[in-house]
Amino acid sequence: MKGAEIGIEDLEGFFRGLLEKEVVDCLVMPHAAGKNIAYMLVTDPKRIESSSGKAIFAPSFSVNAAGIVKGWTVANKVGLVAKPCEIRAAIELVKLNQMDKDSLLLISVDCSGTFENQVYADHSDEIGERLESGKIEELKGKGIELREACKICDSRLADVGDIAVVRLNGDKVVVAGLTNMGEAALTALELPLEDKEIERKEEKARIAEEAKKNEEALPKISSIEELEAFLQDCIVCKNCRDVCPVCYCKECFFDQPLGNPASGDLLNLAELRGAIGVPANQLFYHLTRVYHVSTTCVGCGACADACPKEIPLTRYYPVIARKVQDIFEYEPGKDVEEPLPFVVYEEEELEDKLR
Amino acid sequence: MGEEKKGEFEPKIIGFTCNWCTYASADLAGTSRKKYPPNARIIRLMCSGRLDPMFVLKALLNGADGVFIGGCHPGECHYIKGNYYARRRIAAIRTILKQFGLDNRVRSEWISASEGDKFARVMTEMAEDLKKLGPNPMRGKIL
Repeated sequence: MKGAEIGIEDLEGFFRGLLEKEVVDCLVMPHAAGKNIAYMLVTDPKRIESSSGKAIFAPSFSVNAAGIVKGWTVANKVGLVAKPCEIRAAIELVKLNQMDKDSLLLISVDCSGTFENQVYADHSDEIGERLESGKIEELKGKGIELREACKICDSRLADVGDIAVVRLNGDKVVVAGLTNMGEAALTALELPLEDKEIERKEEKARIAEEAKKNEEALPKISSIEELEAFLQDCIVCKNCRDVCPVCYCKECFFDQPLGNPASGDLLNLAELRGAIGVPANQLFYHLTRVYHVSTTCVGCGACADACPKEIPLTRYYPVIARKVQDIFEYEPGKDVEEPLPFVVYEEEELEDKLR
Repeated sequence: MGEEKKGEFEPKIIGFTCNWCTYASADLAGTSRKKYPPNARIIRLMCSGRLDPMFVLKALLNGADGVFIGGCHPGECHYIKGNYYARRRIAAIRTILKQFGLDNRVRSEWISASEGDKFARVMTEMAEDLKKLGPNPMRGKIL
């Protein structure tokens, strides 16, 4: 793998260079917005901020950035600078034909786990710009907790997309090309490329182990009654769908008359069953949605952040989806060439899962 | 038909069957006068690949005690590969339902048009299994 070691302050020039050398026409990337971190869409290289090197590593999650570029049909080349879960979602969207891979330069950035953006903004001084495990514990003691999705995330080190931005100790980073497109971009910037090892197997194993432990510690939903209780506060606002990077239908079933019955349709349903819950289809909606995202859910936790009733949906969507991904031995967003499980098959398979 | 006799639970099964095989096998079971319990309400699809897993969810949430899916044996699909796709979808939806203890209410079988006896056997087994399992917990709930 070809890469270059640069200082964190050089990342400003790196991003500026991508625009100046016309490697990309625009960048979607994090920037400091007051005490918060938000995304910006930038086309003018002069508008790249000097703090951008630090902003991209900030442990704050607002939206899943793949959702921002979802469904774009433009001739321009779009650079996306985001955390690995967001890049994985973008790769799933490419496979779902929601984006053209040739018009995307995906740049994944090492993530150390994140806080909800409002939590980060409130406590950014205490949190600082870099998280270490000791610090996570210390903050937890003060009631400042990582997002649940990040606690159970086992792949937060940058290793997906075209370019990985790896944070080393101190203020050094490595930018490495993961694909031909990525290497070409680095070459265009005239960076001193050399062979770099960014695999980090041991650290990944440690993270995966910790994530597994955290996932096992989460409350389980193990019966349909428990699922009903878990979802009892749901008002079927469908925010979880709207912020989900991999929910991509132009018109959702649950926005159509059958899925979102009103008036006479609703009365007919009530007549059929004697009584129905309203807003209708609460359980049906969540069970259908978990099936729809079952192979593509990257576990970013945007759904849980967006829930106005603060239902911890991370205990539902990524956890259930992982079980389906396991039977197909599929890791969403890992490989852009690997086909989606539902569009391929094998002659003999899965017979033990059918009855 | 299918209404509960006093004291005895009669499960309701929604059966989704492929036009080219399992639906015909049900026909064959009938014309060859095979006896099997009348718990299933059959819905004919043109292919098991037409089965949207939402059908399964909707049936269960509306109180069906079981869902049966019948398709052609792998390699014998009238549309070449519809049942292969169906197999992946059924495996996925059953994996999800398994987390909530509902997977044993969903059964799929490959039954060709000549296997009337297999259809009768599967229907009998399924009705018995569901009787042991008892009514769908979703029945009568305000959902």
